[in-house]
Amino acid sequence: MTVFSIWPDDVVWRRVSPRLYWLTIFVRAVWLVILGIAAAVGWYVFRQPLAPVVAGVLAVLMLIRLVFVLRGIRSWGYAERADDLLVRHGLLFRRLSVVPYGRMQFVDVTAGPLERLFGLATVQLHTAAAATDARIPGLTPEEAARLRDRLAALGEARAAGL
Amino acid sequence: MSEPTPPVGPQTPLPPETPLPTGTPPSSPAAPQPAGPPAPSAVPPAPPAGAQPPATPGSALAPGAPGGAQPPAPPGGPAPFPSVTPAPAGLNTAEPRRRLHPLTPLLRGLRYAVLAVVGISWQGFQRLGLERWALAVAGIAILVLIGSLVSYLVTGYHVVGRELRIYEGLFFRRTRAIPVERLQSVELVQPVMARLFGLAELRLEVVGGTKTEAPLAYLTREEAVSLRRRLLDLAAAARPTAPVAPGPAVPGHSVPAGVVAPAPADQPVRPAPGEPAVQPAAPTVPAGPSERLVHVVNNRDLVISQLLRPQWWLLPAAVAVQVVNALMDGRLSFIGIASTVTAVIGVISAPVRVLLGDWRFTLAQAADGLRIRRGLLESRSSTVPEGRIQSVLVEWPLLWRLAGWVRASMHVAGVRVEQQQMGRSALLPVGTGDVAQEVVATALPGVVLRDIVIRPVPTRAKWFAPLRYRVLGYHLGPTAFAARDGLLTRRLMLVPYARIQSVRVRQGPLQRRLGLATVLVDVAGGGQPGVAPHLDVAEARALALALAEYSRAARRSAAAPAHRPAASEPASGPAASQPAASGPATAEPATSGSGPGPTVGEPGPGRWPAGTGDGRETPAGS
Repeated sequence: MTVFSIWPDDVVWRRVSPRLYWLTIFVRAVWLVILGIAAAVGWYVFRQPLAPVVAGVLAVLMLIRLVFVLRGIRSWGYAERADDLLVRHGLLFRRLSVVPYGRMQFVDVTAGPLERLFGLATVQLHTAAAATDARIPGLTPEEAARLRDRLAALGEARAAGL
Repeated sequence: MSEPTPPVGPQTPLPPETPLPTGTPPSSPAAPQPAGPPAPSAVPPAPPAGAQPPATPGSALAPGAPGGAQPPAPPGGPAPFPSVTPAPAGLNTAEPRRRLHPLTPLLRGLRYAVLAVVGISWQGFQRLGLERWALAVAGIAILVLIGSLVSYLVTGYHVVGRELRIYEGLFFRRTRAIPVERLQSVELVQPVMARLFGLAELRLEVVGGTKTEAPLAYLTREEAVSLRRRLLDLAAAARPTAPVAPGPAVPGHSVPAGVVAPAPADQPVRPAPGEPAVQPAAPTVPAGPSERLVHVVNNRDLVISQLLRPQWWLLPAAVAVQVVNALMDGRLSFIGIASTVTAVIGVISAPVRVLLGDWRFTLAQAADGLRIRRGLLESRSSTVPEGRIQSVLVEWPLLWRLAGWVRASMHVAGVRVEQQQMGRSALLPVGTGDVAQEVVATALPGVVLRDIVIRPVPTRAKWFAPLRYRVLGYHLGPTAFAARDGLLTRRLMLVPYARIQSVRVRQGPLQRRLGLATVLVDVAGGGQPGVAPHLDVAEARALALALAEYSRAARRSAAAPAHRPAASEPASGPAASQPAASGPATAEPATSGSGPGPTVGEPGPGRWPAGTGDGRETPAGS
């Protein structure tokens, strides 16, 4: 890491599961299929000659974005320090969140249908500040459960409320 | 319900001093309450002795105060939680469910009727004609009156242990229990009409709602005052002994002559046991007996300062547009005039509302928190318990700087403020720098405005903020983080370390190219974050970790004040109170500052060491 990174480099960053790549690709693929169907309907049913063109442009944009999103997945990371949790994300727009355990109000573990399909879960830490941004996607269920339990335990031990 | 209800839940041994009347009258809290929900009243609501508020002398004012001589809660003592500790049924009668004042439906109905009339608007008036308009208004008024009457009949409240319970609703019953520990602020409001009848509304704010959680309108003034005192006393007894902020722990700060720094002795955390609790005086009286008057805003200054707001400049423009319009058209239309009047009212309403709302603004420090009294027509007296202020914003508007004036506002989680901007409530509507210093020091103990020396951002930040970059900057004070922004209206955001919820660092692509990053400090309850934009990357990173560290230290010292090392090193940052205990991961701030200038991990003696290059360090207000 260069000096230009906002991310501390002297902590152990944990990465998210590589299955998040496949989930992301899958989601985009589904959208592409939907786009294709829409274009086909527009072409055959409504006789809109522009429909495939628009769909094609959208598809290209989506693919370009996919590249960035896939690269961005690599940037997800979290580090459990003694008293706070660090979450980092982003390549173009980088962000780092420092959330003290004692400030934690509750922890969410969510897993949507697609996430479950790929055996993934998302952990989100909530504080009393709505702006707190501490979401970690792409965790394996075991890791998510471990993180949740650990956060809950640490949060209780260091609770400071408001 | 013809005999004393046996306590529900686990039976706990009662303290011996708890009076247990044998000849218990039938506990009938629902009797004066025809539509009351039966479930809550089945639980004897009287609290155990430990949780009873101190029976205050002059409790003739407190209609709900129990007759039994309850000892006040021991300071910091483990008071049993009342909801699982049933009290004898005999005490039940001491705390019946209370109604609002009988005049409530009339006053409330009037208020809603006015709203409805306003809702019909100019167009409606024109279309309906006078007679039908009057008819519509009368119909609305009757409907509203009936509605408020029903709502009055089904509304009740009482204090159960350490909770305030409010019952309301006819079809959808609702019992709301508000634990006093969660109270963020208590406000006593007297609108004009209510004032005529000696009534008041009590507004209790807790975090998490989008509007005032518990508006109790209307009570008699005495009842509202005594209920407020009870709730605040209960809340103070429930709080840990220490002030939540590390307190004015920096005796080395030079206090300018003439400025009264809040000495710790001036800030009793709560009344001593047995001592009478604060009896708040009427809002028009400057300060009660056990309050320390901090500041009374000069009304003349208030008027002048509001006249200096830019809104007034729009006024001639609005009128001119209408005049030009009329000249072009050759006639005046009713809608045109009406909309102009509406627009003018809209433009000047902000300063006028400040004038009316902040008239006779009085800030005092009472035992149970910061007390603010204000208002010309509608008088308000709000109390913010200690440690509930999430952030303080000090502003230097451009024109006010001519007079050397400042205004300050605060964010209290959960408080919704209609009139002020950004959900902040006024702490000082207008005042000089010295006054602001004292006010801020009262609100955030340990913050000395004069000692805040802003550390500037790198010059290359001008690519983002060509003019503003000279203003931007931050300061790490002994107890709070400060960030400055704003070219025309200079803004200084102060966030106490103990109130920091989380810290974020953001960096866009362009910022990355320039080696800059933005640090955001989040506070609870939807407050604006404190933002320090465009810092050097290494500095931003170290600052974020340092802030997390400071907030941890501040919380820790708040939880266990005895463990905090005595302020042997005057004017040292909180880092000094965290020697080697931080461990390898948290040693980051001291080692990462590879950029020029001092590292963030060493905040130095309250101000940054001089000689960071361009010498742009400036006092906060300049």
